[in-house]
This record gives sequence, C-alpha cells and structure tokens, in this order.
Amino acid sequence: MPDDQSFDLAGCLDRVRKHDQIAARDLVEHLHPLVIRIARSHLPRRVAEEDLAQDIFLKMFTRIDQYKGEVPFTHWVSRIAVTTCIDHLRAQKRRPEFRWADLSESEAEVLDSAITNENDVAPDDALAARELVQKLLERLKPDDRLVIQYLDLDQKTIAEISALTGWNQTLVKVRAFRARRKLQRLYRELTESERS
Amino acid sequence: MNKYDPSLQRLLAAARRAPVSGDESAPFGFSTRVAARAFEQGQQSSPSFARLSLRVAGIACLFAVVAVGVNYKAITSAIDDESTVASDDPVADVVNLDS
Repeated sequence: MPDDQSFDLAGCLDRVRKHDQIAARDLVEHLHPLVIRIARSHLPRRVAEEDLAQDIFLKMFTRIDQYKGEVPFTHWVSRIAVTTCIDHLRAQKRRPEFRWADLSESEAEVLDSAITNENDVAPDDALAARELVQKLLERLKPDDRLVIQYLDLDQKTIAEISALTGWNQTLVKVRAFRARRKLQRLYRELTESERS
Repeated sequence: MNKYDPSLQRLLAAARRAPVSGDESAPFGFSTRVAARAFEQGQQSSPSFARLSLRVAGIACLFAVVAVGVNYKAITSAIDDESTVASDDPVADVVNLDS
C-alpha cells in the first residue's frame, strides 16, 4: 500500500478536483505501485500492464467526484482496479480445454514433481509453477480467478479481499468455495489427461 | 472452506514462492500522459454540460405535457370530427365490409 503518512492525499485530491494537472501527476505516481500490483495479478492475455494501469487511472479520474471518503482512498482505487481487471478478463475468451500436451517442458516437470513427490516443489521451479497455475486460472471465470489469486496466491484474508473488491465477506466465502471446487476439477482433468 | 488435493497444494505453494516481477514505480512519462488524458477526457464530456442537457430535456418534456393538457379538448374534438367525416365517406363504407 502507498505510504499515506508522507503524502498529503486530501490536499492532492482537492487540487485534482480543481483540475490541477501537477496534482494529478503526483497522485498517479503515488498510487502506481498499488495499481500495477493489482494489474499484474489479474492481467489478461495480450493486454499490456501499462495499458491496463492507464485504463484504471482514467476511470479513477472520471469518478473522482464520486469519492466521498467513506472508505480509505486506496481501497476505493483498489475496487476500481479490480473491476477494471474483471471487465478486461470478461472481454477475453477463456482458454479451451487444457491438457498435458499444452504444457511447456518446465511446466510438465513441475506438475510431475507435484504429483509424484510428496516433498515441496524445488525452489527453482517456482516460476514454472506460477505459470502453470496462471494457465489453470485463465480457464476460470474472472470472479473465480480473482478470488483464488487473492486467497491462495497472495494469501489475503477474507476481510482484506472484501475491502479490496467491495464484495461482502459471505460473498467472498461463497465465491472462494465454488472457485476452489472448479480449480480442483480443472486440475484433476489436467492430471488425468493423456500425456502425449 | 474446501481444501485442495495435496499435489495441487504443493503446486500453489511453489507458485507463491515465485519472485514478484518488475519495478512498481511509474515508467518515465506515464503519470504526465495519464494526467493529461484524464483532463482532456473531462473536457470532452463535461459533467456540467451533461447536467444542463438533462435539465433542458426535462423542461422540454414538461412543455410537451402542458401543451397536450391545454389543447386536450381541441385534440379530442378534432379526432371526433375525423371519425364523423370517415363515417360519411362512401368509400369508407365500402371498404369497411364488416358494418
């Protein structure tokens, strides 16, 4: 999260509302780490992270008059970022069936290791594991993908996910339950598919 | 909440250990470009102009309703006259085969 202590957010927002372009630039620089982290976590295929971040910031500026200070500004921006990512993910077609044959060599190795070896996957294989998990997540609906990303990869709590997305905690739990079940099913389909 | 197969859990644990990629600060010129585009967009679709347009549309609707209300009798009598003319018309009688 950006450091709100050293940044005069309220003053900056006032100036942005008065169309001060320098204040708008400062606000973008201040919020960029937060926005780019969310964009990278939920980046659709064939979309550049910079384009997605720009889209999020433009939406933020369009709606800035609607911000009434009921929630921290970073939470409000996070929700815009999350909904923008979901919109982009909905716009892209989900991947068709996913099989062993679609895996790269390193992904196949890491999957094999996860199935056959009861110890943890080797640290060197972490990147391949992440790529493989991302491929599995691409086959889920955007909302399901998002909740798995936050819960199982970023290890956020239900309360944190609720604050980031604006979904109430019960909804987060229900979505997490369904999303995990779907991911489990996809994973089983992948591991049971023929290796060719 | 439901739990995964142990092998999927191992895969997710490995994925979590993957280093987070990339610098998080804004690339050079990004914030200037975004700020400029934000205000450019704001000028194109000024909310005050949109509000004014909505008010004008509302007033126009009100005028239309008042105009119909004031001229209601005239409109209904005109419709009645038209139906009287139609009933006197021999062609209308021929075409209206049911009566």
